[in-house]
Amino acid sequence: MDILESINMAVKTLTANKTRSTLTMLGIIIGNASVIMMVGVGQGAQRYASQQFESLGPNVLFIIPGSEKAQNRSVDRPRSLTLEDAKAIASQVPTVSAVAPQLQSQLLVTYRNKKADTSITGITPDFTVVRDFNVARGRFITDLDVQRRNRVVALGSDLAKKLFDGADPIGQEIRIRNISFQVVAVMQAKGAFLGSNQDDVALIPLTTMASRLVGRTSPYGTSISFINVNARDEASINAAQFQITNLLRRRHKIVNENDFTIRNQKDALEIVGNVTGALTLMLAAIAGISLFVGGIGIMNIMLVSVRERTQEIGLRKAIGAAPNDILTQFMIEAIILSAIGGLIGTTIGVGGITLVGAVTPLKAGVSVPAILIAVGVSGGIGLFFGVFPARQAAKLDPIVALRSA
Amino acid sequence: MQKTIIRLEHIFKTYGSGDIQVNALSDVNLTIEAGEYCAIMGPSGSGKSTAMNVIGCLDRPTSGAYFLDGLDVSTIADGELAKIRNRNLGFVFQQFHLLPQLSALENVMLPMVYAGVPNTERKERAAEALTRVGLANRMGNRPNQLSGGQQQRVAIARAIVNHPVVLLADEPTGALDSHTTQEVMNIFAELNASGITVVMVTHEPEVARLTRRVVWFRDGQVVESHLAPTELGHMLAA
Ligand SMILES: Nc1ncnc2c1ncn2[C@@H]1O[C@H](COP(=O)(O)OP(=O)(O)O)[C@@H](O)[C@H]1O
Ligand SMILES: [Mg+2]
Repeated sequence: MDILESINMAVKTLTANKTRSTLTMLGIIIGNASVIMMVGVGQGAQRYASQQFESLGPNVLFIIPGSEKAQNRSVDRPRSLTLEDAKAIASQVPTVSAVAPQLQSQLLVTYRNKKADTSITGITPDFTVVRDFNVARGRFITDLDVQRRNRVVALGSDLAKKLFDGADPIGQEIRIRNISFQVVAVMQAKGAFLGSNQDDVALIPLTTMASRLVGRTSPYGTSISFINVNARDEASINAAQFQITNLLRRRHKIVNENDFTIRNQKDALEIVGNVTGALTLMLAAIAGISLFVGGIGIMNIMLVSVRERTQEIGLRKAIGAAPNDILTQFMIEAIILSAIGGLIGTTIGVGGITLVGAVTPLKAGVSVPAILIAVGVSGGIGLFFGVFPARQAAKLDPIVALRSA
Repeated sequence: MQKTIIRLEHIFKTYGSGDIQVNALSDVNLTIEAGEYCAIMGPSGSGKSTAMNVIGCLDRPTSGAYFLDGLDVSTIADGELAKIRNRNLGFVFQQFHLLPQLSALENVMLPMVYAGVPNTERKERAAEALTRVGLANRMGNRPNQLSGGQQQRVAIARAIVNHPVVLLADEPTGALDSHTTQEVMNIFAELNASGITVVMVTHEPEVARLTRRVVWFRDGQVVESHLAPTELGHMLAA
């Protein structure tokens, strides 16, 4: 008996029993759709995070307080980096073109009766260079502002909208923790970075922030959250990293382990890759389990089907079907069910991903390898879980089968 | 010249094991020549169906030899036996056993599917067989759209479509009324006239009287092997 004939016969049987066929496919459909969606979302997250770091440019270095080891612990960061460190880097490291220390805190901002809980960032003028963040209206914070600890503020575009509702904020006084600040600038819209809104910020001179708002001063000087550094060009990244390390070790009088960590864009991308890769794998594993459960579903219903169709099997054997013919027939039924289930599941999965991409910033890629693997795996699952029921059918004794009326 | 088509020699069929063994067949010897039209009769439980299953290669005897057309089939492997059932034998059952999802034509085509006959030839021959049993105008119907007599005629068409040498029927009229029984028996007579050996189990004397030889079973043994249908009265009286 040829294979086309077997397929034709299997299709007839499956279409004669649409409800059962659909139910059998359901598990595979769900399994497949979830594999493709989960992997797609995971990869979308990966791509999103990578793009964000890539958008910073290849010349950036991040200097963060705490040793390399401390980065993996969720302890309070030590206050080992200071504004003076940043100044020293700017003046003494020749491969560096811009240095932007930052001090951050979430604080309450008010303007008349309007309130907002916002990220307040203490910065120096280089902030605009390093972060490629420009003023839309007004003038940005100057070195003089930093020097004199002036109470001036540059508002992110969203925060300006929130507090001023379309009115012109320039020259107005707002209050941060009940200290009044004069608005000198409104920034251009910048969008989100790793999910946090960069336009819902208030930028003030770092010194003002340290002395008046969070009081983060350490014995070494004005303590800060981290320093963004731009190397002169991509080629001088390594040199800059080396020189900054030496300088800071000398300044902090370190003999053993550094009390700071320097990361470049490649490091950051790698970390993001590791985290989101693990996430993707976990999602894929969960989805894989549902695919497996779908396979067990196929086996179950196939076993029921073999029992229900004993008479048919007996009759086929009586008129000349060899055990192999019966085996083939049931295997093909299982494979067709799981392959069609796989295709439907894939379609749903791709649809789901497109939807996720449309409503979230996760531009979830439809991953062709994930589709191929999912469809291949579901075909394989049909094969694997179909074998047992098909063998049961092939083994049936024709007279016993015929008698089971 | 006569040719032996079926020869059973000292056939035993034992069911169960240990203390509760049942000899469904105990030392059955039977010879049927090519072209015969033969009824198997006997009380319920006397081993008629068991004997038919052995003759039809659906079941293997516990011991003894069975020659079908000169070939000792008691030693043949399952896959080969399937081929013999497919090409040399035709079956008709009391319960028709048609596949409900297939049309009459497709049901009749089924044995040819397993014989590897090409699709176009299959259709032609299935149509021919259905015409032969008087169902030329019912080919597209599903079994549930056919009467009992029509379904049994489809089953007969299916049994003869591969040109078997022997047609085996276990109580083929058991589920039919007297009118359709007559129709079905006419078909068997025609098929026999065309040269096919026909062996059928029946418990209806009227049906047995339409054949040319009666084999009588009792307690798993052949007690009369060449009874003329006209002499049936003696056995029924006994
Ligand atoms: N699968 C089986 N297991 C046990 N006993 C069986 C089986 N098939 C038939 N028998 C027994 O064998 C004997 C003959 O049965 P069968 O050939 O069906 O008789 P008949 O067809 O003449 O009514 C009966 O006693 C029956 O109970
Ligand atoms: Mg019987």
